[in-house]
Amino acid sequence: MSEKFQKALSSAEKILSSLKCDFADIRISKGSSLSVALSKSSTDSISTGETVAGSVRVLVDGAIGFATFNDISEIENFTRMAVNSAEKIVVKERVALSPASAVRRNFSTVPEIDFQDVPFDEKFELLKGYNSILSSHELVQSTRAIYSESVQKYAYLNTEGTLLEFDKKYCGVSLMSVSKKGAVMQPFHNSISGYGGFEKVTGLEHVAEDVVKTSVDMLEAVPVQGGRYRVILDPKLSGVFIHEAFGHLSEADFIHENPALKKEMEIGRVFGPQGLNVIDDGNIAECSGYIPFDDEGVMPEKTMLIKNGILSGRLHSRETAAKMNEKTTGNGRAMGVMKEPIVRMTNTFIDNGSSTKQDLFDSVDEGIYAVDVIGGQTNLEMFTFSSSYAYEIKNGKKGRMLRDVILSGNVFNTLSSINMIADDLQMFGGLGGCGKGGQGPLPVSFGGPHILINDVLIGGKE
Amino acid sequence: MKDRILKNIPAGVRWFDAVITGGNSTPLIFKNNRLHSINHRENSGAGIRLNVNGRTGFSFTNDPDGIEAAVERAQNVTPYSDEENFSLPESTGHSFEPYDERIEKFSVDEEIEKGNEVIEYLGSKFQGISVDLGITSSTGTFSLVNSNGLDASYRDSIYSASVSVTYMPEGGAKVDTYESISSLYPVNFRHLADRIVQKLESASKPAMLLSGRYPLYLPPSAFIRFLGIMLSGLNSIAVWKGVSPLGDKLNEKFFHESFSLHDNPLLPGSPYSFPFDGDGVSGKEKSLIENGMIKNFISDLKYSEKLGMDMSGNASRGFSSMPMPSFSNIIVGEGSEPDRNLVAGIKKGIWAEQFIGLGQSNSVSGDFSANLDLAYLVENGEIAGRLKDCMISGNIYELLKGDFQLSAERETRGSALVPSVLFGGINFSS
Repeated sequence: MSEKFQKALSSAEKILSSLKCDFADIRISKGSSLSVALSKSSTDSISTGETVAGSVRVLVDGAIGFATFNDISEIENFTRMAVNSAEKIVVKERVALSPASAVRRNFSTVPEIDFQDVPFDEKFELLKGYNSILSSHELVQSTRAIYSESVQKYAYLNTEGTLLEFDKKYCGVSLMSVSKKGAVMQPFHNSISGYGGFEKVTGLEHVAEDVVKTSVDMLEAVPVQGGRYRVILDPKLSGVFIHEAFGHLSEADFIHENPALKKEMEIGRVFGPQGLNVIDDGNIAECSGYIPFDDEGVMPEKTMLIKNGILSGRLHSRETAAKMNEKTTGNGRAMGVMKEPIVRMTNTFIDNGSSTKQDLFDSVDEGIYAVDVIGGQTNLEMFTFSSSYAYEIKNGKKGRMLRDVILSGNVFNTLSSINMIADDLQMFGGLGGCGKGGQGPLPVSFGGPHILINDVLIGGKE
Repeated sequence: MKDRILKNIPAGVRWFDAVITGGNSTPLIFKNNRLHSINHRENSGAGIRLNVNGRTGFSFTNDPDGIEAAVERAQNVTPYSDEENFSLPESTGHSFEPYDERIEKFSVDEEIEKGNEVIEYLGSKFQGISVDLGITSSTGTFSLVNSNGLDASYRDSIYSASVSVTYMPEGGAKVDTYESISSLYPVNFRHLADRIVQKLESASKPAMLLSGRYPLYLPPSAFIRFLGIMLSGLNSIAVWKGVSPLGDKLNEKFFHESFSLHDNPLLPGSPYSFPFDGDGVSGKEKSLIENGMIKNFISDLKYSEKLGMDMSGNASRGFSSMPMPSFSNIIVGEGSEPDRNLVAGIKKGIWAEQFIGLGQSNSVSGDFSANLDLAYLVENGEIAGRLKDCMISGNIYELLKGDFQLSAERETRGSALVPSVLFGGINFSS
C-alpha cells in the first residue's frame, strides 16, 4: 500500500504542475487504526481498519471546487471534477487565499516505544488492568475502558510548490466508571492521549484509581442550587471555559464577513482584566492539538488572542486572512483528508497569572469550586461548560461535594468578571475533541491555571 | 469487493458477514449569502466480521486491495473477544429501497437558484443578515452478505437542505437560528426561510423573567432534542450494562400515560427507513413506550442475545463500524389539544426553540441544565420577547412522568415525527 501512496504522490505533483487555475491543493493519506473497548465484565468491541483518502481543492476564477475520494489512483479524474464544480459557480465575490511561502519538509512522530512493535496481547492486558481498577468498588455499576491507536501517512501539496509530509502516530486511552446507589447513578471519565508511542498509555493506574474514586464519591454529592455565584475553576475547566467562551469567537470564519460581529471583535477591544492572556499555539508537540503544518500547508503560529486583557489577534485560514487583510495563523484544519479545511483551534490556553491557588480560595467567602469537565458548547456569544463535579466554598475552605454544576455565561461580560488568575497552568487533551461545521471530534488541547470568576450563572432549582 | 471477500474467508470460521457500502454525494455550500463551493464526494469500503470458536473479530478497509489484510486482521483478534452465540439471518423479509428515482434529476443549477432565492428573501426581510446554506444530494448502496446464505442489497438516496442564519440588528442582540429538511429526492425548501423569519421576528425585542418555576412550551424541533437525553435509556446496550433507568421497568408504567414512542424503519418516504438492518434482520415497526408503559428496547443481534429478548432489527452499521443498536424513524404519539391552545393557555411561561449545552446532560440519570440559545417569554398566551442569558434545568424522566400536554398536530424533524409539548413547570435561572 505504501507503493500506492508514493505513486499517488508523484501523480499529484505532476497534475499540480500543469494545472491551469488560481490555486489548487491535494491531500492524500493512508493509515490504520486499532481500537479496543472493554466494559465491566466483557469485551465490547475490537476493531481494526485501514483507510486511504484523497482530496483536491481548486480555486478557479475565485470559485472553489472540492472533490474527495478513496480511490487515490484516480486523482486526475477527481481533479477534473473539482475544476468542473468550480466552473459552475457564478462568482459574486471572488475567494482569495492569503500568501504563503512554498515549503518542502517531512515530519514524523518519534515514539519512545512504537506501539506497532508492541504485541496485541500486551495492549489488551494493559487495558484489562485499567478496567479491573475501574470496576474495583462494589458500587460500580458499569465501566468503559478504551484503547485507541492510529498510524497515518499524510501528504499535503499545492500549486505553489509546497510539499509537506507527516508520519503520525497517535494513541490514547479513555477510562470511565459509572457508580450506582439506589436511584442515583454517576458517571465519571478521564482520557489521556497524544502523539507518541505506547509510553503515552502505560503507567496510568493512578488515573483509573482516581476515576473510580471520583465516580463513587459523586454518589454522595448534592445537586447544586441554581443562581449566580463566585466560582473558582480548576485548570481543566478553565481550559474548556476559554475554548468555549472565547476560542470559538476568535475563529475568523465566524466574523470575517459579518460586519456587525466584526465591529464587536475589533482588535484593541478590552475583553478582560489586565492579567488575562489567552494563547493558541499549534507548535506544542506534547499536546493533542499539535500540528506541524495546517491542512493548507501553513506552519502554525503562536497567536496571542488576548494580551493583557485586550483583544490582540484571531485565528485564520488562508481564506479568512485574505478577506480581513490580516496575516494567516496556520489554523486551517480539516477532520481528515476528506473534509475541507476550516478555521479551528489547536492548543488553546489561559496563561499563568500572578496569584496562587491559595490566594484564590482565601478571597472567596462563599462560592463554588468547579472541577473537571464533561463538555461545553457556545453560540459565540453565550456558552455553557459543564463541570464533572464541584464543591461549596465557605470562608475559603472546600465544603460539601456538589453535582450537576453546569455553568453558563456571555462572552461580553463573563471574561471581564475574571477576578484572579493563579500560576498553575496545566494542559489537557484526551481522545475526543472539538466539533464544528460537521467536523469532529478534532484533536485539540486546552488548559489554564485556576481562575476565579465573579459572576457565573449556574442552572438548578433555586 | 464481494467476490474478493468470499474468496479470502479462511477455513475454520464458524460464521461471517460483510458489509459493502459505496456512494457519492454533491454538497453545495453557501457561506455568508453566496455560493462558496461545490463538492463532489465518493467513498466505498467493506467491513468484515467473522466468528471463530464463538468469538468475533472485525476489520474494515476502503482500499479494494486491502481485503486480504482486513480478513486476516479480523481473524487475529477473535481470541480476545467474548463468546457470542447468536446466529445470522438467512434471508430478509422486505424488498423496498429507501430510494427515489427523482434524486437522479438533482440539478446543480436549479439548486443554486433555490439557494439564492432563499438568501435573497431573508436578506430582503432582515438587513445585514448572514445566511449559510447547505444543499446535498447523496446516493449509495448497502450490501450485506453472510455465511448463512444471505446476499442482499439496497440503494438509498437522500436530499437534504439546511439553512442557518446569524442576525444582529443595530443595537440588538445576536440571534442564530437554523432549519433543515431531508427527503428521498429534491424538494422545495422555501418554507424553512418562513420558519426562520418567524423566529427572528419573535426574538426581535428583549424580555425579562425572574428566576423561578414556569410552564415550558417546546415546538417539535426542540421537543425531539429534549427527548434525545432519554433515548439512550431505550438502547439495549445501556439496559444490558445496567445504566438505563428503564432497564428493569419492562411492561411497567413508567411515564405519563399520554407518552408513546415508536421506532419504525418501514416508514414510507423516509430516508431513515431501511428494509433490513446492519445484521441483516428485517426492519419492523415496534412500540418502545405505549401509554407510558415500557414495551421494548432497540437492539442488534448481539444485545438481543445477551438480554434474551426478541431481535428488534435496529443494528446500524457502516463499512467501518461494527453493528450498534440505533433508532430509525422515531414516532412520538400525538396529543389531543390543538397546538395553538397549548400556548394560548400560558399565563406566564417559556417557549424554548434552541439550547446550548443540552448535549452535556447526564443521560444516565436524565438530569439536564441548559442555556436558552433561543427562547421567548410567553405572557397571556402571546410571545412577549426574547429571553437570553438564562438557563433551565430539571430531569427529563421526571418531566415525562409528570404533568404535560402534547399537541394534536405533529411535524417531521430529521428522523422524528413529533408533536409539540407543554410541561407544567421547569426551573428557570437568570
